[in-house]
Order: sequence, then structure tokens, then C-alpha cells
Amino acid sequence: MKATSYNLFMSALYGGRKGIRPPAGNPTSIACVELMKACGAFFPEAHLNARAMADLALVGHELAGFDTVMPEYSVHQESAALGCEMDWGNETRMPDAKTAPHMDFSDVIVPESILEKPSLRVVLDALSILRREVGGQVAIIGKVMGPWTLAYHMAGTQNFLLQLGLGEKDKINRMLRQLMPVTIAFANAQFRAGADAVVLADHATGNLVGPYHYRDYLLPIHQEITARVGGPMILHVCGNCLDRLELFAESGVDAYHFEWQVDAKAAVEKIGDRISLIGNLNNPKTLFQGTPEDVYKQARYSIEAGVDIIGPECAVPLTTPLANLRAISAAVLDGY
Amino acid sequence: MHESVQKIKESIIEGRHKEIESLVREICKTGIDLDTVIQEGLIAAMDVVGQKFGAGELFVPEMMVSAMTMKLGLNIVKPLLTGKAGAPKGTVLMGTVKGDLHDIGKNIVIMMLEGAGFQVIDLGVDIDVEKVVAKVIEIRPQVLGLSALLTTTMPEMKRVIEELGARGLRDRVKVMVGGAPVDAAFAEKIGADGYGKDAAQAMALARSFVGL
Repeated sequence: MKATSYNLFMSALYGGRKGIRPPAGNPTSIACVELMKACGAFFPEAHLNARAMADLALVGHELAGFDTVMPEYSVHQESAALGCEMDWGNETRMPDAKTAPHMDFSDVIVPESILEKPSLRVVLDALSILRREVGGQVAIIGKVMGPWTLAYHMAGTQNFLLQLGLGEKDKINRMLRQLMPVTIAFANAQFRAGADAVVLADHATGNLVGPYHYRDYLLPIHQEITARVGGPMILHVCGNCLDRLELFAESGVDAYHFEWQVDAKAAVEKIGDRISLIGNLNNPKTLFQGTPEDVYKQARYSIEAGVDIIGPECAVPLTTPLANLRAISAAVLDGY
Repeated sequence: MHESVQKIKESIIEGRHKEIESLVREICKTGIDLDTVIQEGLIAAMDVVGQKFGAGELFVPEMMVSAMTMKLGLNIVKPLLTGKAGAPKGTVLMGTVKGDLHDIGKNIVIMMLEGAGFQVIDLGVDIDVEKVVAKVIEIRPQVLGLSALLTTTMPEMKRVIEELGARGLRDRVKVMVGGAPVDAAFAEKIGADGYGKDAAQAMALARSFVGL
């Protein structure tokens, strides 16, 4: 196997042949102020303009040395298309939804033309730009929000969790089922636009909800999503999810992107070769506040533990030093 | 323990919110010491909920329902309290720091504190240093709770503590901090009085600060 970024990433994603080194990958955002300055594409423009989006993704490969490019930096592209009022933030502040339009759990009517809504179209266009410019050389990652995350945005997180606690199963299931087609349609469109793999970010977060919530509500939905989406998917769920890793392995995804809270060795031991693992450098302490040496050391720990693809645990803080991101690619360049 | 108090406790632990009000009304008619109902029923239940949360046996949705159930019960007992028993255990000022819009963790802490008998003033989210300090001067709380979910907003906690020091207010109020990226080492580094890993720990901290 030629040791190109694309080959190394895709082989690791499928648990295939090992190349000369593990790949560095970013299923979630590595956008930071230094990268924005380097390419001249700043937030919020890089959430709303396809060229800016693609440029910011490209410097993640060119300057930070990652083997992937991932052009979607916010978790709100879909919720904006579904009617949430948005604050798109600025170069040091991530976007946030200002409203939750279905607090009353009223029916979510998904517009037929949702893929043409500007906040989704821009992602598809950015993926196509990346396909034209680095396709086949660098792995192109897309990202969709799963129905659980979308339900937080539609009903408000606290309200959604309260209804869950109150055992309002019909309400919860109806909303999840109404939102699932958005996830499926956007993921398939991203593959058609040029993505090699798509992240399914669905925040049934460890410590927030339990493994039994995931098993009872979300696992069947994830199984349906992965069955109806054409390409490989990477599940991203924040928090300490060691207690539900085996459930994730049953969801039909090809990889799970995990946090530092889950020890890399424990994760590898639990998951075996059923799905690949991506992660799991600590963002707040190591990438944001640590030194490149700290980052290198942690990355090597994950490599030696057997994590397939090395990267930050989640979207990095926007003022993360570029030198720390580069330390991840330096660690993978030293091989297995 | 009085059988009805035990029932109230179990009802809260299991989040049976529909039955709590009638249970509490019934027990209040018996002439039982209301402080027993609160301490051994309502508060003891939330202690168990906190322990179960810490042990990963239940999660935020169940904790929210238990807190809501406890509050329904408390709302019935409170108007009946007289004298010292009716007085709050202390006042806690709570807020999410500047630049941070997350409030679920803070809201759960508030529910737990109210259940434990504290008067809680919620400043909301995205609260700047000046506002926190002004409220400390105005309300004179015994405890100030600061929350942050984002790595980027953690330094705001330090700024609040520094400003309290600069204004000569630091000795008047105990500061506790919490939120996903925060830990005990960070709390110590910025000069906070304590760190709560979760809502139960935050409640225990607040109690210890007022000598309970």
C-alpha cells in the first residue's frame, strides 16, 4: 500500500493493512485561530462560504499535517436549515442556536428541499471543492448530526432530557424518527458531493445519559441510518462512553471517535477489531494548555495502545496552538 | 424511619412526580416534625440520587425528574414552616461565566441546592465579572458558584476571583467552581475554595461552607 494520506486513513478506518505509520485524522473540527490566519478564512465566514470552508479544511492537512480534511466546523448546519435562529459566532466563538423551535415537541416538518438550504448547501459545495482539489490523495470527511443531537436543538437540551426522564417515550421516539431522514439525506448527499467517510455526531453523551438510553432509543435508529447511508460512517459521541462501547459496535458504523476520558488501552481491549477507534487526545489540558511535548507523548500513548487513527477527542478550542496540532502529526510520522 | 417519610424518600429517588404532592400533604396532616420530612425525606432522597449519579447508576434525565419531584414536595412543606425551620440554610449565587451559554449543569446544581434548603439566586449564563461582583455586594451570599463548559471560558472564573480579591470581598464569600473542563487542580490554581465534580458534590461543598 502506498503511504498516501488517503490510503493510510481509509485502510485504518476499515481495520485493514497497516502502512508505515498510523494516520492523523480529525472527525471533528481542528479549526483554530492560527489556521484561520494562515489561510485567510475566518469564522463565521468559514461556516457560510464554501470556498472559505474548504480553504480552512485544507490548511489542516497542509500546515497541521493531518491526513484528512473536514470542512464542517459547527454542530448547527442542520438546525439552521430546520429553523433555529443562529448566532454564527466569530473567530474565537463557535456558533450557537438562539432558539429551539419545537420546545412543545410539535411535529418537525422537514422541507423537501432541505439539502438546498444555504447552511447545508455550503457544506456540500465545500466537499466538492475538496474532492476536486485533493480527492484521492487526502481523505475527505463529512459530518452530519444524528437525530439525538438535532432533537436537542429542536426541543432544547434540558427540555429534551427532562422528557426523557419523565418516560415520554412516544414524544421522544416521534421526534427522533422525524429527524432521522435529515441525517440520512445529508449523509448520502455528502458522499455524492465527495466525502470519503461521514461522521455521525450524536450526543448521547456519557455522564449525561446512560447506556440504557442509547440502547433503547438510539441504537435501532443508528442501525437504520447506517443501513441506509451508502458509505463508511464514524460515530462521534462525547463523554466517557466506556459503558456503551459495545453498543456502538453494534450500530453499523465503521469507527468510533472517542474522548480522553476513556483510556485508549481500555477502549481497544473492549472493542477489539469490531470497529476502528479514532482519538483521543485531551483537548482542555493537553492540546489547549499543554506543550507540543505533552501532545506528542499522549499521541504516542494512543498509538501504542492500538488506536487506529490519531486525533483530538472533539472539536478543539479555537485558540489551540497550531504547534500542538502539529505535534499530533509528528507523533504519527514516527510510525507504529 | 417513619414509614411515610420513607415512602416520600423512595418516591423522589424513583422520580414518581405524580404522587409526591399527595404523599407530602398526607404526612403534613399527621403533625409530624416538618424538619424530619425535609431532612430525612426530601434531602436524604437527593443525597441518594447524587450518590447513584456519581456511581453511574442513573443519569441527568432521572436526576432532573427526581429534583423536580423533590421541589414539588418542598413547595408543599415550605409554607407550613415557621421560625428557624423556615429560614434558608444559606444563600448561594450561581452563574455561568462570560462567553459561555451552557446552563444544564448549573441548573441541576441549583435544583439540588434548593432541595437542600438553600436560597439560590440564579444569575443565568454569559455573566460578566462586573455583574457577578455587583451581585456579591448587593446580595451578600455565603457561597458563589461559577460554571463553565468551555475550555475557552474557564479563565473567566479566575478573573471573577481576582476581582473579588481586588475589591476586598474575597473573604466574605466562598467560591465553588464546576463544569466539564474544570477540575480540582484548576480550582486550586485559580484560588477557588472548592470544586464540585457533579451536582451532588456541589451540594456537599455548599453545605460544608455554611457549616452543615
